[in-house]
Amino acid sequence: MPTFKLDERDIPFEKGDTIIMAAWRQGIEIPHYCWHPGLSIAANCRMCLVEIVPGPNQRAMMLDILKWDAAKNDYVVDRKPKLQPACQMQVAEGMVVKSDSSPFVRDARAHVQEFLLANHPVDCPICDQAGECKLQDYWMSESGRSKRMRDEPVHKPKAVPFGDKIVYDAERCIACTRCIRTCDELAGDHMLDLRERGNKAEVVLAPGRALEGDYQLMVEHVCPVGALTSSHFRFKARVWTLKETPSVCTGCATGCTTWVDVDPREQRAYRLRPRDNAAVNKFWMCDDGMMTYAGQHERRVTRAAVGREGGRTRSALDVAITRAAEALKGVKGDHVAVVLSAQHSTEDNFVAVELAKALNGRLYLSAKPAWRDDKILRNADQNPNRSGAVAVASGASVGTLKDLIAAVNASTVNAVIALGGHVDTDPNTLSGLGQLPLVLLASHETDLGAQASVILPAATSYECEGSFVNAKGLPQGFKRALRPQGDAAPGWELLSRLGRAMGLDLTYTRFKDVRAALHARVALAHPDHTPAPALSEAPAAATTTA
Amino acid sequence: MEPVDLDLEESALDLPSEPMTLNMGPSHPAMHGTIRMVLKLDGETVSDLDVQPGYLHRAFEKMCERGTWAQVFPYTDRLNYVSPLLNNVGYAMAVEKLLGVTVPRKGQLFRVILGELSRMSDHLTCNSAMAMELGAFTPFLWLMKAREWIWEACEEQTGARLTHSFFRVGGAAFPPTAKFIPQVRAILPKILEVVAEGEALLLKNRIFLDRTQGVGVLDRDLAVSLGASGPVLRSTGVDYDVRKDKPYLTYDEVDFEVPVGEDGDTYDRFMCRFEEIRQSIRIVEQSIALMEKIPAGSPDDAVSITDPRIVLPPKSEVYSTIEGTINHFKLIMEGVDVPAGEVYQYTEGGNGELGFFLVSRGGGTPWRVRVRGPSFFSLQASKSMIKGGMLADIIPTFGSVNMIGGECDR
Repeated sequence: MPTFKLDERDIPFEKGDTIIMAAWRQGIEIPHYCWHPGLSIAANCRMCLVEIVPGPNQRAMMLDILKWDAAKNDYVVDRKPKLQPACQMQVAEGMVVKSDSSPFVRDARAHVQEFLLANHPVDCPICDQAGECKLQDYWMSESGRSKRMRDEPVHKPKAVPFGDKIVYDAERCIACTRCIRTCDELAGDHMLDLRERGNKAEVVLAPGRALEGDYQLMVEHVCPVGALTSSHFRFKARVWTLKETPSVCTGCATGCTTWVDVDPREQRAYRLRPRDNAAVNKFWMCDDGMMTYAGQHERRVTRAAVGREGGRTRSALDVAITRAAEALKGVKGDHVAVVLSAQHSTEDNFVAVELAKALNGRLYLSAKPAWRDDKILRNADQNPNRSGAVAVASGASVGTLKDLIAAVNASTVNAVIALGGHVDTDPNTLSGLGQLPLVLLASHETDLGAQASVILPAATSYECEGSFVNAKGLPQGFKRALRPQGDAAPGWELLSRLGRAMGLDLTYTRFKDVRAALHARVALAHPDHTPAPALSEAPAAATTTA
Repeated sequence: MEPVDLDLEESALDLPSEPMTLNMGPSHPAMHGTIRMVLKLDGETVSDLDVQPGYLHRAFEKMCERGTWAQVFPYTDRLNYVSPLLNNVGYAMAVEKLLGVTVPRKGQLFRVILGELSRMSDHLTCNSAMAMELGAFTPFLWLMKAREWIWEACEEQTGARLTHSFFRVGGAAFPPTAKFIPQVRAILPKILEVVAEGEALLLKNRIFLDRTQGVGVLDRDLAVSLGASGPVLRSTGVDYDVRKDKPYLTYDEVDFEVPVGEDGDTYDRFMCRFEEIRQSIRIVEQSIALMEKIPAGSPDDAVSITDPRIVLPPKSEVYSTIEGTINHFKLIMEGVDVPAGEVYQYTEGGNGELGFFLVSRGGGTPWRVRVRGPSFFSLQASKSMIKGGMLADIIPTFGSVNMIGGECDR
């Protein structure tokens, strides 16, 4: 691979790479605001300026400048090299680039920073971005100077709603146009544009429009400063109290990788962010996916319950498991239906299949109904792990919920053990299930819950470790971000305890044993062994709009 | 167990006693609240003892690994809480050594002045309490009066009487207030007078002399090998003082002497402390004079460095400019970015060599903070002072060691 030199370091690059992109792939950040690896190049913030050392027999392009000389107490004539934006400059073999090592570059960055902050309001204490703001980071690392401007700063509109999900603050805006390019290039809808120039510039909605579509929250996500904030997160938490955990979106079968940001003190998730992943979602997520974190805390099942609806009573988890085992005891093994869940992890489903095998029972699959898809990220299948649930069945036939209802009506199924309990058919057809012993392991209240005779509280995907297999067959793991609420426990653990209570040989007590057994018995790639999100596959930014 | 005092015929004749084990402390006022001594007594003679620290252990060093570098200062106040400013200085200098920065001259002199005031308060407290433990209540009240003047001056400058948290990485919280220097000037001669009166009350007192001279003797070689420092070591005749032997701040520019004892007994420790108060007064007087020689407006005329990556901006800027807000925010929320590395920085604390060993892995939080509290080493030495002596002598002897639980147990 050809290389070039950046601050005395050899950096490999691919044809067509810009300096900033090649450096970024090596994990070197050249300070920047407007450049984003997933968007086109604007080169308008001037923060990424670098010095390009002329080759042999080449003359550097020099600019005449006046430089302040403190000793003479006057300006003196001086020269400095013309700097180039690293985001726009394509790399050539053997090029020598100076970034941090060039005093001219360091000086230019400090000046850019001074201009950007000239009219910036004193908002850090009330700004959601504080703590992850590029203006703060680069002031500290690149500037450290006070401003020289003594005029009243330019005032602009604050808290302007851009639709009902995004709020815009023009005073904090640095007019980098990332949001405009996101609308254009990701959503394909030119909803935003820039009005005026210089210190009067502000982002505005297209006339007569509001932000709409499925990718509005990405506009906030790309904003390097606090100009765009999302109404769901606004004033809810301070980012330095949040802890990030790698996770996978539960919204659909695309399986976008995410960071889930939780407050460990409150044991509550506050937001999701896309986790860069070239194989799946690049840098993006859809709005419904971004908002799945809120649903994780709503309508939770946190305590075990015994009895049908109406006469249902809360119960200790041990008691409920014993009662479930007793109810299932009299039923012939092959008349027990084990319902897998496309909403639960591969590991949960694997133990469910093991339980079915031990009983010689039949397999069915519950899932959420299909939803609206698009050509960008959204998959029509609303379930994150249909492929994983089918894979662990290892070829055994897996019926749908309709098949289960038919089997119940035909009396070939006399008892049900169900994971998840999501229903993709008419809930009114489920009443037949209300006559049989039905043990449901659910993290949330679902339609099947109305028919259950025993409910066991399962942990959500934020509350336990596991993995999902997405629509393309890629297994992706997620880690535990929160403690399970109430009595909730991971699905695989509840199923093994239930199996043991029924006298079956299900010995799993640790997650790693489940995963080891899963990968020993099922032909499925290990989520830790699937390639890590390879940043190098990021698309080379296409066109220059500067 | 073999009685030690076989040569004392009387006791052997009158009181043939069984050896007795006695717990002294940890909740005994003369054990300064936190030390337990398991004594083996033969009559009233201490034939053996086991000194057990640890009852005031509060995970100081572990707590430091949680917050930012600046958040360690309030903890250091609570090490040797009789001279908190000396601990502040010691820690601040250790972090500055890691950062490779030096405080401006005025800041250095300011640290010397406040530090020496703290040392005086430390020694006044120790000596007065020791006299009181021998029943001499008047000197206690007398010397406390002087300490009170010092604390008032510290309160004028720092806003707090005891836990000042005044120094910062890169300098101090504020420059000297308008009243501070005149106030210090005014109290110095008064302190000298009180010290002389305190001595007059005690040093011709037969009881005091009999109970301190030749009691609680510490061997010089043993003191060195146990790592003792400060007045405990100097009373044995070793003139080791970090301020002289490894001068820091502006100690090499001022004229002072290191008082040493001869016998290493309770009396010598007591006298070393009184003499050090006099030396501290000399240091403060000279430092004030040096401070006044600094030309106004020169780079030396500042108590803190100006690097925004280390020192907080003035509050007026924090509230009115975005640069100040950002600066404040980053330093408070993330802490000073201290480069990876490790240092040992030692200064002369109230009780001797106060060392901070810091490890940084970069970033705003210390990776490891280890404190060499001088009290811990003096405490080790106290065993040999007490062993073989009388039970009643434990109290003045232990008092003269000036074990401070906060710094000993940490």
